[in-house]
Amino acid sequence: MDTSKYKALYLQETNSHLSGIEAGLLDLEKGSVSEVDNLFRHYHSIKGMSASMGYEPLMVLAHEEEGLLEKIRSKSLETTPEIIGTLFECLDALKRLAAKVEADEPLDIDISAFLTRLKALSEGKPSPAPKPVFEPTVAVQPAAGGGGAELKISNVMKVEGRVFDELLTTVGDLFMALSSFKELSQRSRSIELKDGVHLLGKSVNTLHQNILSARMLPIRDLTETLPRIVRDIANRAGKVVDLKIEGAEISLDRSILEDLGSPLVHIIRNAVDHGIETPNERESAGKPRSGTITFRAHARKDRAVIEVSDDGRGIDSEKIRMKAVEKGADPRRVAAMTRKEALLLVCLPGLTSAETVTETSGRGVGMDIVKAVVEGLGGALEIETEPGKGTTIRMELPRTTSIVKTLLVTAGSEQFLFPITKIEKVIERGGEAPSSIEYAGHEVPVVDLASIIGLPGSEAGPSSTIVIVEKEQEGEERGFIGLKVDDFGVELDAYIKPLLPPMSRLWGVAGITIMGDGRPVFLLDIPQILSRVSSRPSL
Amino acid sequence: MAKRVVIADDADFHRTVLKDILTKGGFEVVAEAVNGEEALSSARALRPDIVILDIVMPLMNGIEAAREIRLIEPPVKIIMCTSLGYEPIVEEALKSGACAYIVKPLSEKKVLAVLAALKD
Repeated sequence: MDTSKYKALYLQETNSHLSGIEAGLLDLEKGSVSEVDNLFRHYHSIKGMSASMGYEPLMVLAHEEEGLLEKIRSKSLETTPEIIGTLFECLDALKRLAAKVEADEPLDIDISAFLTRLKALSEGKPSPAPKPVFEPTVAVQPAAGGGGAELKISNVMKVEGRVFDELLTTVGDLFMALSSFKELSQRSRSIELKDGVHLLGKSVNTLHQNILSARMLPIRDLTETLPRIVRDIANRAGKVVDLKIEGAEISLDRSILEDLGSPLVHIIRNAVDHGIETPNERESAGKPRSGTITFRAHARKDRAVIEVSDDGRGIDSEKIRMKAVEKGADPRRVAAMTRKEALLLVCLPGLTSAETVTETSGRGVGMDIVKAVVEGLGGALEIETEPGKGTTIRMELPRTTSIVKTLLVTAGSEQFLFPITKIEKVIERGGEAPSSIEYAGHEVPVVDLASIIGLPGSEAGPSSTIVIVEKEQEGEERGFIGLKVDDFGVELDAYIKPLLPPMSRLWGVAGITIMGDGRPVFLLDIPQILSRVSSRPSL
Repeated sequence: MAKRVVIADDADFHRTVLKDILTKGGFEVVAEAVNGEEALSSARALRPDIVILDIVMPLMNGIEAAREIRLIEPPVKIIMCTSLGYEPIVEEALKSGACAYIVKPLSEKKVLAVLAALKD
């Protein structure tokens, strides 16, 4: 029988059974026995399919596990932490084997030690080899390869995803070509050309929307493996942690989701390792012995907000300040920082070595990487904490990548793209720009965009252009800021490429696009710019 | 006329492999079921010549389904499909009305040989 044509189906079903096993084992570990039947069936199915495909190690391992589950199912064996631990390790071995099947690699993982242990356990003896054959990598490299430590999305999508990446790049090129045509048609008197460009524009837009929606994946694809990761980290750290996941149905572009995997593991690891206290510490602080980590996602317009909260010990922002000064930060700058800004100091690379931060503040491993990834995606990172109560890491991210509706503006003799979604209104008026302007019943302060970005201001012209943007407010009251620019040009559907390190550290810009004539133009990062405006008390 | 078969297995993989083998062997697969209940209702509604039942399935397993299906008139031939390690259960399956069994892994040779050996 030619089995190769069934491989994709085999992998699809096997992976879904492996996810089922993971969920089932987590339930079993919490003392629920309702999943035993399902667990048994998952192993049974993997065994049968692997036998038909000729994948012997998978079949043999699943067969042995099925036997153990059968004994638990028929109540001739009690589940013990040792059994569950072994089943988790065997699950990792099954996953590695399935990955090898997928990669067309030989199934050369030695499973004999697992088989011996499973046999001993199913005979009610203690497991002879408490050490796993391979070390689960979760302890060392949370983001790289292996076992339950990996946050990744379905591999079938991965193949398709690459195709969509190329499609999206092509649509980006189409948009650029379209903007050249639009310019031409604006200058032309030909109705046919104008109509043609209009139709072309509509089609390109539809194509773009379709590709974007095909690229969207629910956050669930990423969070599915979180329970296991939390379990492994918590067990190793001697903590008891309950994980809650909310809003997993919110969807994001797959490339954004994919990039979030590693930061998310860092954040969760920090929450378990440094945030959540040991059961005894918690008890003496009057908290429940089990800590809670809540993963919460929600959509806010075209952005997604992802929060990871813990009810642990929180971060002492004063200690962070001290540490930053010790590490050579300017004491005056550090002292002038708001509490929110000071907390973000944990993202300074120098401040995040495990031993220093764990002792002093209890937070920080890899936060520099988290911040870099989030900002590289055009997002923003925020930390909220209350000593003794817990910490929330909030990531605000775009839900889709790439094509952004923008307005071309000039500030300080440089051109920038201004994201249209952020613009309330563009006001042109004669004479020099006032220091404030009235808009929608508000007294709106006006600031010079060039000077905020650090560009030399231009000479006052006969008229001034002010772009009104809304401030992000927590309360109900709306607030606006006017950004003075020298001029504004055309509206552009710009294909934005994210900035890669070290460019991603540039302040005030969120991405870059190449104009039709080959010039690079930066996309302004309005939230970041506004945060600087708001932190200037003189304004 | 090609013999009409209902196949029941909770794994899409096994149904696909089995269906390919049967179609190639000149059988007509008239329904696919993912559990015993579906197999039973398909057998009742479609009156196939043969039902191939996997033993381990959710909701209603193959043995339970076989006990019900054998009550259908005119009789439907039941073949049990089982995995390694389930040979003892085959005995029970044969008692509950099955007339033959296939032990996985599925292969064309094995499946078609079992079907060819069925008496009309």
